Amino acid sequence: MKKKKKVSVFTPYLYIAPISLILLTFVAGSLIIAICFSFTQYNIITPAKFNGLYNYLKLFRDTKLRLCIMNTLKIAVISVPLQIICSTLLAVLIASRQHTILGKLTKAAVFIPYLSSSAVVGTVWKAILNGGNPIVKSIFGILGIDPTMLLGSSKTAIITVALLIVWKDIGYYMIIMLSSLMSISNSYYEVAKVDGATSFDMLTKITLPLLKPTIIMNTFLATIVSVQVFDLIYTMTGGGPSMSTTTLVMYAYQLTFKSGKSGYAMAVSNVLMLILLVVILFQQRFLKRDASEI
Amino acid sequence: MKKKLLSVLLCVSMISALAAGCGSKESTSSEENGSDSSEATTLTMWLPPLDEDTETNFKNLLSGWEEENNCTVEMEIIPWQSYEERWATGVAGGETPDIGYMYVEMYPTYISSGLVMDLTDMVTDEDYEEYLFLDRGEMMGGLYGVPIVTGVPFVLYYNQDILDSLNEEAPETWEDFARICEEATQDTDGDGVIDQYGYAVGLNSGDMSNLYVLNSYIYSLLWQAGGDIYTDDLKEVAFNNEAGVEAIEFFKSLKPYMPENVMSLSGTDAFSTIFAEGKAAFGVTRSSSADETTFASDYPNLKNWDYVTSLKNVDYGTFGAADCLSVMTTSENPELALDLIKYITGSEFMTEYHKVAPGAPLTATEEYTGDPKMERIVSEDRDKWRPLQAGPCGSEILENYAAHIQSIMEGNMDVKEALDESAEYCNEVLNEYYAENE
Repeated sequence: MKKKKKVSVFTPYLYIAPISLILLTFVAGSLIIAICFSFTQYNIITPAKFNGLYNYLKLFRDTKLRLCIMNTLKIAVISVPLQIICSTLLAVLIASRQHTILGKLTKAAVFIPYLSSSAVVGTVWKAILNGGNPIVKSIFGILGIDPTMLLGSSKTAIITVALLIVWKDIGYYMIIMLSSLMSISNSYYEVAKVDGATSFDMLTKITLPLLKPTIIMNTFLATIVSVQVFDLIYTMTGGGPSMSTTTLVMYAYQLTFKSGKSGYAMAVSNVLMLILLVVILFQQRFLKRDASEI
Repeated sequence: MKKKLLSVLLCVSMISALAAGCGSKESTSSEENGSDSSEATTLTMWLPPLDEDTETNFKNLLSGWEEENNCTVEMEIIPWQSYEERWATGVAGGETPDIGYMYVEMYPTYISSGLVMDLTDMVTDEDYEEYLFLDRGEMMGGLYGVPIVTGVPFVLYYNQDILDSLNEEAPETWEDFARICEEATQDTDGDGVIDQYGYAVGLNSGDMSNLYVLNSYIYSLLWQAGGDIYTDDLKEVAFNNEAGVEAIEFFKSLKPYMPENVMSLSGTDAFSTIFAEGKAAFGVTRSSSADETTFASDYPNLKNWDYVTSLKNVDYGTFGAADCLSVMTTSENPELALDLIKYITGSEFMTEYHKVAPGAPLTATEEYTGDPKMERIVSEDRDKWRPLQAGPCGSEILENYAAHIQSIMEGNMDVKEALDESAEYCNEVLNEYYAENE
């Protein structure tokens, strides 16, 4: 009989050491640096000078910051529900036809935008909307919209940007949803059919309840992604018109690289971090509650 | 045992990689200079792309100077989009070049940080005579750069065919300009939709920064009205005074003659897809972007065009950058660095360089070899264009000003109200700057 090797108490730590080192250095490290520098007057070029709570007090009287928080929330409020509803419906539709050519094509068509670079998506869509192409104009014309005006108005630019986030990322959430759908046993549906359940009954009584944990996870993932969006807005509108699409991330970027106010930018970033922290805490609470219900 | 060994190896390699990544890059010049005087010196230079292949074009022309001075010039060509970021992160990481290309908006921060060398005592009166635009490198009480890209201001192009059809001459004043814009805005095919505009303007800042909006359309009107961004002492902004309000009121009054999607279009798109397609009487772009050669190749549909360097209201004025090469205070060879800058901006180098990348002569001894049609910009119209004032918090102030102009043009704010609001914000920023730095 082969003698079982005794595992050293340090072995597991060795296995997790590389990733821990990366996380500690680049995640925890940068977080600590951001917190430390947020208490300084710092422009990247010259050494930081401690200025106490000055940056945090400034947050309260910064009207631009309020505008950026509102813009960030608007994007999240528009894009997240749409992404979740559409990705769930798409996943349900594709699941029943996923072995057909149409199903495969649809899945690929919806997923491909997610693989594209956000900067490219922004540039291409700006060209499509502003290009004055008669086909594009007539497609939008069905809805009574002039595409060339969408990015030029404070009211429509933010909606356009949010819808593009939906278009770009929906494939990702759909794939997660689809894999979750595939894990639902067919026996539930067979029993429901025997009991005379309609397709709608099966969707609302079986599919959606069993997808609930995935829907919750997708919702929080989508929220986190939508409040961090940068490249797409940067290339489509540059934050304009009239700062109507400037988000918190863009504002922090401008403060750091355009205004030379890195210390304050880090305080702004910490506000964003707090928002994300709240989102994550909610996610964990929801997931825990959901697990206990199941 | 193998797994344990693998983990240890991974950890070690990770730590080495981290240590290597976090280590600061020592200046090459210092490494090589310190050892032996017979060894070649190295000068580093950061530039944005100034033509299609700046590195090769510069390298070819620098070989003689390098040999003569036993010096190697290492160039880093940084894309425009990330130019300021590269500087900021480079400097933060302790990595600065010996020579850097900088534009006006960058200077205040770097000058007040003590990173840019004042060249006042290093140049002579003869240099001022030879280098035609040397005075434009003077800012914040010193000479901080030698202009390398200048003489290519933003000018007002016009479609001669449209003006001929209206029996109009090239505009000279605001009144001429507004009148022609109004006359040119027409529905030429009678379908009830305007298809020819007076003024091809684009205010979207997606592919360029907001500052492009100011460069193209606003500084010219502001200066022509007699206004400016800052007061002379740079303590406050001045764009909300009477002249500033007049300039923006005038710009707003032209909106009916601009394309309907003026807010969605970028400035470059407005020029290339509206003006250059013959759909507008006027368009603005940098004069280096549109001369006879580029018009023929890039905009074949517009053949009959000309330009006005600047309109006149109370004064002339349009924006012409004076981007400079500067010596960094961290350079261990400032004299050699300045010598290189003088060589690059001098007659010998530029005469050859301007053959591949046309531009205005920078020195008295360089002949104009560019497009003859554009020559008057650097001769008779030389006083009609100028660079920006180099003032503190430049980017932040100008971005805010541009955003408020977008609000005005969108119809969300009244001109005076918007300019006052922007000025209030900008003055707060300036007060904070002076409180921190004085």
